Order: sequence, then C-alpha cells, then structure tokens
Amino acid sequence: MFGYALRRTLSAIPTLVLVAISVFVLLRVVPGDPALLILGDAASAESLASLRRSMGLDLPLWQQFSHWIARVLVGDFGTAITNGQPVLPLIIDRFSVTAVIVLLSVLLASLVAVPLGMVAAWRQNSATDLAVIAGSTLLLSVPSFWLGLMLLMLFGVWLQWLPVVGYVGFGENAAIALTFIIMPVVTLTLIEIGQLTRMARAATIDVLRLDYVAHARAKGLSEGVVLFRHVLPNAFAPTLSLIGVILGNLLGGIAVIETVFTLPGLGRLLVDAIFQRDYPVVQGCMLFIAAIYIVVNLLIDLAYPWFDPRVAVE
Amino acid sequence: MMIRSLAIALALGLAAPAVAQDSVVRVRLNSDIRSTDPGVNRDGNTDAVMMHLVEGLVQFKEDTSVGPMLAASIEVSDEGKTYTFKLRDGVRFTNGQPLTSADVKFAWDRYLRQDTNWRCRSEFTGGVVRIDAIDTPSADTVVFRLDRPSALFLTSMARADCGAAGIWHRDSLNADGTWRAPVATGPFTIGEWRRGEFLDLVKNPTYSALPGPRDGHVGNKTALVDRVRWQIIPDAAAAKAALLAGSIDLNPDAAASDIAEYRARRELRLLATPTMGVVGLLLQSADPLLADVRVRRALALSLDMPELVKALTDGTSVYNPSPIPVGSSYYTAVQRQGYTRNLVEARRLLQEAGYRGQSLKLLTNRRFQSMYDMAVLVQAMAADAGLKIDFEVMEWATQLDRYSRGEHTMMAFAFSARLDPALSFEMFAGPRATQPRKVWSDPAVDTAIREAMATSDRPRRQAIFDDLHKRMIEAVPMIPLYNDTDITVYRERVQGFAGWAIGQPRLWGVSLR
Amino acid sequence: MVFNANMMIGGGLVGTISGVAALATVWTPFSPTRVSLSSRFQAPSSLHWLGTDEFGRDVLSRLMVGAETSIGVALTTTVVALVLGMAIGLTAGYLRGWVDRVLMSLNDTLLAFPGILFAMGLLAVIGPSKWGIVLALGLAYAPTVARVVRGSVLSLREREFIEASRALGNGAFYTLIRHIVPNTVSPMIVLATSLFGLVILSESALSFLGLGVPPPAPTWGNMLASARPHLERAPWLAIAPGTMIALCLLGANLLGDGLRDLLDPRSTR
Repeated sequence: MFGYALRRTLSAIPTLVLVAISVFVLLRVVPGDPALLILGDAASAESLASLRRSMGLDLPLWQQFSHWIARVLVGDFGTAITNGQPVLPLIIDRFSVTAVIVLLSVLLASLVAVPLGMVAAWRQNSATDLAVIAGSTLLLSVPSFWLGLMLLMLFGVWLQWLPVVGYVGFGENAAIALTFIIMPVVTLTLIEIGQLTRMARAATIDVLRLDYVAHARAKGLSEGVVLFRHVLPNAFAPTLSLIGVILGNLLGGIAVIETVFTLPGLGRLLVDAIFQRDYPVVQGCMLFIAAIYIVVNLLIDLAYPWFDPRVAVE
Repeated sequence: MMIRSLAIALALGLAAPAVAQDSVVRVRLNSDIRSTDPGVNRDGNTDAVMMHLVEGLVQFKEDTSVGPMLAASIEVSDEGKTYTFKLRDGVRFTNGQPLTSADVKFAWDRYLRQDTNWRCRSEFTGGVVRIDAIDTPSADTVVFRLDRPSALFLTSMARADCGAAGIWHRDSLNADGTWRAPVATGPFTIGEWRRGEFLDLVKNPTYSALPGPRDGHVGNKTALVDRVRWQIIPDAAAAKAALLAGSIDLNPDAAASDIAEYRARRELRLLATPTMGVVGLLLQSADPLLADVRVRRALALSLDMPELVKALTDGTSVYNPSPIPVGSSYYTAVQRQGYTRNLVEARRLLQEAGYRGQSLKLLTNRRFQSMYDMAVLVQAMAADAGLKIDFEVMEWATQLDRYSRGEHTMMAFAFSARLDPALSFEMFAGPRATQPRKVWSDPAVDTAIREAMATSDRPRRQAIFDDLHKRMIEAVPMIPLYNDTDITVYRERVQGFAGWAIGQPRLWGVSLR
Repeated sequence: MVFNANMMIGGGLVGTISGVAALATVWTPFSPTRVSLSSRFQAPSSLHWLGTDEFGRDVLSRLMVGAETSIGVALTTTVVALVLGMAIGLTAGYLRGWVDRVLMSLNDTLLAFPGILFAMGLLAVIGPSKWGIVLALGLAYAPTVARVVRGSVLSLREREFIEASRALGNGAFYTLIRHIVPNTVSPMIVLATSLFGLVILSESALSFLGLGVPPPAPTWGNMLASARPHLERAPWLAIAPGTMIALCLLGANLLGDGLRDLLDPRSTR
C-alpha cells in the first residue's frame, strides 16, 4: 500500500513537468501582453519596451522558462506581475478559501445524491424515479451564476439574513466565517447534486441487475439489507471516480461562484491572472492545481479497493 | 452547537452595519489596486485610490484645467522653458517631516530613472518636453529647466495616470531603493489592505488643506470621515446586491441599465457625470477595402448616431462627433458637426467605390458591454446601407494587443481620458510606420498637432482644432461616438459626494449622516 | 423491444426540440438577427411570444435558430469527448502497467488545465469558430471520460466473465470489445448526457468571455450569457434559453436511460 502510494507519487513527476511546459508554451501562444495591459491605450513604445524588460519578457523564451523552472525547483514561484505579491503564499491563501467551500459542498452533495440515486434506481421507471431525474436535470441545467444571484438577492438583499460581500476566515471567527460561506456552499451543493445523483442512479441500476443481487434477494434478505450490504458498496465505485474528477475540477477554483459571492478564492485568482496575463501567477496556479489533481486521484485510487474489494491495489 | 453559533453569527451579521465606532464610508472598487507606487504599477482604480494618498506640484481642477497643489505659485520664464515652483508653507508628510524642494527633486529623480518604469517618463524625456535639469535654489523653490516650451508640460504633470507625479518622502522606499508604501502629504494614509478583499484608507489627522471649496484634485481636500473602505467587488450584479443590502455605501461604477431601478428607491441617490473618455469606432485605412475613403464615409453615413448612442448608454450620453470631450473648453459648435444618417448617399458612395458585398471585420470584446453592443448595432445599421460587417469577438487583452499592433480592419474601442484637445487628436493620429496603433497617418495632421502642443495661444489652438475636426470628418479615420457617462449610486446617508469629468471618485469632503 | 414511459417522455422532448430546430431552418416568426431599437426589452406579448432582447430582436426566433447550433455543437463535442476518452480509458484500464501510467499522466495533464485557459489557447490559434469550440471542449472533457471509463474497466476486468474469456484464450482486443465495452455503455450514456448539458453551459461561459460561437448567430449559451446584465429588467431573456436547456437535458437523459436499457446486454426486460 505504502509502496504503491510512493510509486504513484513519483510517477506524478512527469505529469508536473508536462504541465509546466505546456502551460508556459500555451501562455505565450495566447496573444496579449502584460506590459500593454498595465500601460493601456496611451502606452508609448519606449515605456512598453522598458516595462517588458523589467518583467524579463524581452529574454528568449527558453531563458524565461529555465529561469522560472530553476526558481520553482527551490520553491520560489516568483512574484505576481499585477501586484508584486509572492506567488506561492498567494495561491495557498486563496486555495484555503476555495477548499473549504468545495470540500463541504461535495460532502453534502454526496450525502444527498448517493441515497437519492439509489432510491431512484431501486424504483426505476416509477414516478419517484422520474421526479428524481427531472429534479437533478433541472439542477444540472441551472447556470451557477443565476442560482448564486438568486440566493444573493433572496437571503442577502430581501431577507437580509446573510452578508452580501466580504469574507472572514475560519481562523479569525468561525461563526462569522460560516455566514459568509453558507450561500456559496448551498449553490455549489445544489449544482453537484444534479451531477452526482444521476451517476449514483446509473451505477445502482447496473448493480441491481447482477446475479448476486438476485441471489441475495432469493435468500430472503430484506430489500434494505440488499441495498446497503450488497448494492451500495458496488455502486459506489464508479460514483467515487466521478467524485474524484469533480473534486479535482472544483478545487482548481470555482471562479463563477467566487465572483458572484465576492470570495477571494483560487478560481478568481487564476481567471483574473489569465485576463491580466500575469504569467507567474498563472504558471504557479497551474502547477498547484495539477498537484491537487494528482493527490486527489491518488486518494481516490487508494480508496477504490475499500469500496470494491475485487480491485486489488497491485 | 452548530445551530447556536449560526444564530450568533446571524445576529452579528445583522448588527454589523449598525455598530460603527468610527465613521467609515464603504466604496466599491471593481478590481484591486495594483500597487501603491504612484504612476508605476497602476490602472484606473489604482490612480483613483492614489489620488487620496499623494499630491503633486500641480493637479487638475474641477474644470480640468491645471491648478497648483503642493506648489504655492508657478512662474514661467525663459520663453516657456523654465518653470519655477514655490512650495506651500506648512505642508508635512505623514511621518512629520516638512515638505522641501529636496523631496521634490528626490521623487522626480526617481520618476525619471528608466528602471523605475514610471508610466509617464517618456513624456518628460522628449515626448512632451525634455527635462534638462531640476534645481533647488532654496528649500521652498524648485526649478524645472526644459528643452522647449510646451502647452502640455503642466497638464502631463497633473495626469492621474502619472500618479500626478506625486511627491512622497524618501521613507516611502526600502533601503534598496524599491517601493515600500507611500509616506506622502495626502488627506488619507493607507490602512489595512487585504489583497483582493478590501483596502482601508485612514484619515490623515495632520493634513494641511488648501483653503476654499473642493476643486477637482486640488482645493480643500480635508477628510470628513475617519476611514474609507474600498471593498473589492468585481461582479456588477454582486455590487448591486451589496448596495441594496447596505453592505456598501457608494458604487462609482454602476451599470446604466439599472438606472431606472435605482431611481425608484428612496434610500439611494444617483449621479450621472459625463467623463472625458472617448468611445468610438477605429477604421484601418490600410485595409484594402477601407483604403477607399468613400467606403469609410458610407459606413459613417449608414449609422444613426443619436439612436446608436442612446441605445449604447441607455440615454445617459449624447452623440459627440469629435474626439474632444463635450466638457472641454475648446468644445464649440464646430465640434458638434458630425454625420447625419443618409442611406441613399451611403449606397451611392458604395456603388461608386465599386463595393460588391465584401465583408468587413469588426473587432470587439465582451469585457465592456458597450463595445460589444456597439458592434451588434453597427452591423445592423450598416446592413441597411448594404454594407456587410462580420464581427470578431475577442478577449480584451487580445484585442488590446491587436490595437497596439494596428492589426485590425475596424475596432470598437474606448480611449481613456485625454485632458488636452491636442492629445485627443494625438491619441489616434500619427505615423503608422513608427506607431502601428495610430489610424490616421497624415503628415499635415501631425504638423498641426505638434503646433497645437507647442503653442499656448488659445485662439490659434482653437483654429487648429476646428480645422482638424473638419479634416477628420472628411477622412473618417475614426468615428467618435460619445463620451462615457459615469453612473454613481450611493446611499442617502452619504453627504457631499460629487462626480466630475475626470471620473475618479473623491472621498475627501464626503461625510456620513 | 419494450419502451417505458420515461423513455417516451424523453423521446417526445428530444423529438419536439429537434423538430423546432428543423423548422427554424425554413421558418421563424421574425428574423433572428434583425435589430430594432424601437422595440428593445419588450415583455412577452401576442406579437413577440417570448419578448424581445436588448437589441429588439425576437427571442422566440433566436431560440429556434439557437436550438440547431447549440444541439449541434453539444452533440459533436460529446461524441469527440466520448470517443477520445473511451480510447484512453479502455487502453489504460485494461492494459494497466506502464501504459496506464503514461496515459494517465497525460490525462492528468489535460485534466489539470482549467478549461478556460485551454480553450483560450486553442481558440487563439485556430480562431473562434464553431469547430474550434467543438475541438476545445471535446479535448477538455475527454480526460473526465477517460477517468470514469478506466475506473469501470479496473473493476470489470476482475469479474468472472472476463477471466473466463481470457481463460478461453481470447485475445485482449477481442475481450475488450466483446466483453468490456458493452459493460461500460451504461455509465457512458449517463456521462454523455451529463456532458451534453455541460457543453451547452460551457458554451455559455465561453461566450461570456467572447470565445463562444461567433455572434450574431444565436445559441442558447450566448443568449444566456447576454441575459446576465438584464436579469431583473428582462428576466425572460434568461428564463427562455434556461428552460430550453433544462428541457433538452431532461429529454436527453430520459432517452439516454431508455437507450441504455435497450443496449445493455444484461437487460432482461
């Protein structure tokens, strides 16, 4: 088990190198110039050249790359072009905001979606099933900005139960911090329920058709026991894969939700940095997000055998 | 436990606005400022905030003319090549040190060093003038010696995007000469700054104010609140919700489309102020099709300008055919003469030019709603004259890149404010060979602009600008449409807020009821 | 062959929407791109059944024309993502070992890219177009498919019937196609219907950045994106395309479930 985890971690190195190279190349392929964005429409050629020089953008690409990667290897991700902050602490700071919201939402969504999907599958083609499908489809097709704004108007403006802008960290005051994340967590949970319910339902339907479920039923076990002892663990495996993917996706930032609720998260940082062509920040974020993916997927793969004993971890 | 802490939090959340110990006015900022280094790493928001912290020798007055700020008087001699600034008495930096001519020279020397990357350095190293020397004959006298006279020297100094060439104490720098934080003379000092969340400005208790009323970036700038909190809210809809919920007091950047709704609310006040930014269409006469002036003119004649502008600005701005802003003192009846829609004439010109339905490409973006809307409407209106326009929507940084390379056929664009009519023409006219972003390359025009930059003779300048306007209407290198209107919405407890043509919100002289 | 009620509802929805899209190619109540400044933001009325937008264009007409583009883009993108993702996932999951590691490493690289940066880069190179979006989104979603497929395969290859197939001396490719692929159909159909919806919404996000299907051609996605500043003044601008997206997804899901029942080798119904 430990050896496997270690090997997997080592095998992540090429992924990170690939990400580093491709993000660097991609950023240079995308047109746009950070110096021009700072100087704006009245920029003179001279000040542009001077600013580009001070950002190191006048160097040949391979030199820019090697300078960057050499510093990254010693843990220095550089400083942001837009505001001169060191990149790594900035990313970690923003990630802590995103992580709390995402982990809570995915946990809540899984708790609702997995049982809901199972019940729908168990009562396949009934009215209950149709209602669950329709409900989850509706959630899936609601744009998050719309859902977020509706919650903001309802609880923030009309009822005035929850604060509309700002953020307080859990480290500062947990109770107040909670009020700031309720709406984003609810928004994200609702949207994820849409996706997960359908996956859980489909997986359960598959398992219900397997012979051993029929055997278990034939043995006279109650439906509840059949569902929870035999169906749930098997049906959970593919759902777990999807949870892994979703978790990886969301931890990389939930830009829309962070924007609507004015949260200083990783998604907004990355999107803003892309728009501003803040190369060090984009590059740093990408490496960080890639690392998260690798860790999340490793954890999911390690958890797999736990739910599906037939898969041995080598 | 969970429920209890939630209840407490709810109670606190509700109570928060009411328990204000010191008076705080909370203002929306649509993105965080980039640095506190004036005129260096900056954008519009940075400039607006910096104007509360630092002051220059001269700055803009309400009417966009230049007035003394840290200078008590300015004397021009040697045929406009020597400027002598007498500094005001009793001005102190926030660290208690008095302002001296040595401080002015120290700050200016840093501005003029290439490695500072001051945005406006090139203006003072040959662009507008070349500063040959800065002398300090006495502690309260600074002398700038220039290579040539220029009508734009003081104007360039006062520009907010140049940080008003603000004078700060050397304590603002780290030991290695890099920027730390402003120690300056403004009405506020910098407080807590949580990047991406908020920035607090704290009242400067030892501020030495000019007498009289508030006047642009000069005049009496005494802070009447203890603190200004710039709350960073990028999303327009979230900002609206924040204002309605009372989480912020003032939004200087409200959407024109929400005007009616704001007007209907008793607790809100609305202020529409025309600014000096110019929104319009750039035409690239290097394009094979647009090289023919008849095609360019046909496009201009196909547009119903007043209707177009009304739709783009929700009726908050009017059609302005000139690159010179409506608020300028050089704005006369001549500048009001633009194009009137004439589809028959447009069709005739197109036919004469041998136009056979080729399509023109119009660049635009979705960052700025008005530029996107402009593209849609221009396309529809031009189609009425048989002119086919396709549009290409790009992300803003990409469009800006294409703008600076001059790689476009047509572009919906917004120019930042130019505070002198000569600069209003210079922003789009110039030799394309050396400045690819320019769309009007005509040596005669360049000569006229240069003359207007050098002379201070007002009637002569007016004559030049009038002539340039007529030439521009003839040549159609750009179709100016309107000057943006800033919509500020604030809660009624905010007292004494006023907008102005420069567009940057000023929180001095503002109090809370 | 047995059809169930849910599938009938799904088929009906999908059929109706496709019919509307087909009708739009020959007839719409108004021109979908005709601007009329005198009739901006009109609420639904007997003339404009679904109202008009910020340029006075008829929302119903745009919705009809948008159906074709949106469904077309979503469908092709889903197919691209599925084909690519299945190829990667099946190979990696079945062969395991170093192939798995190399493929998953590439896969993770792609997954780790935020879709928006990826799309911006790709669209900057090939220019914003319908097919550019299909390619960008297809590539962006393929790794998700690959992960899920690989997960199923890892679990499947340990089952008795696969071992039996191998014991019978069947080749890896034969076993893969004959026994494993049919068993991944069901999660794939579910994923495909999810993707279909995600693509429609992603196109909306891309148009919001100016990277969507080039306007003025309407898509449900860009209609939704344009509606955002007017949520309160003209809610119908968001509700109309939003409802269409929801109905379309519901239809696709119900139909997908039904199809799965028909295709599933173990289905006894």
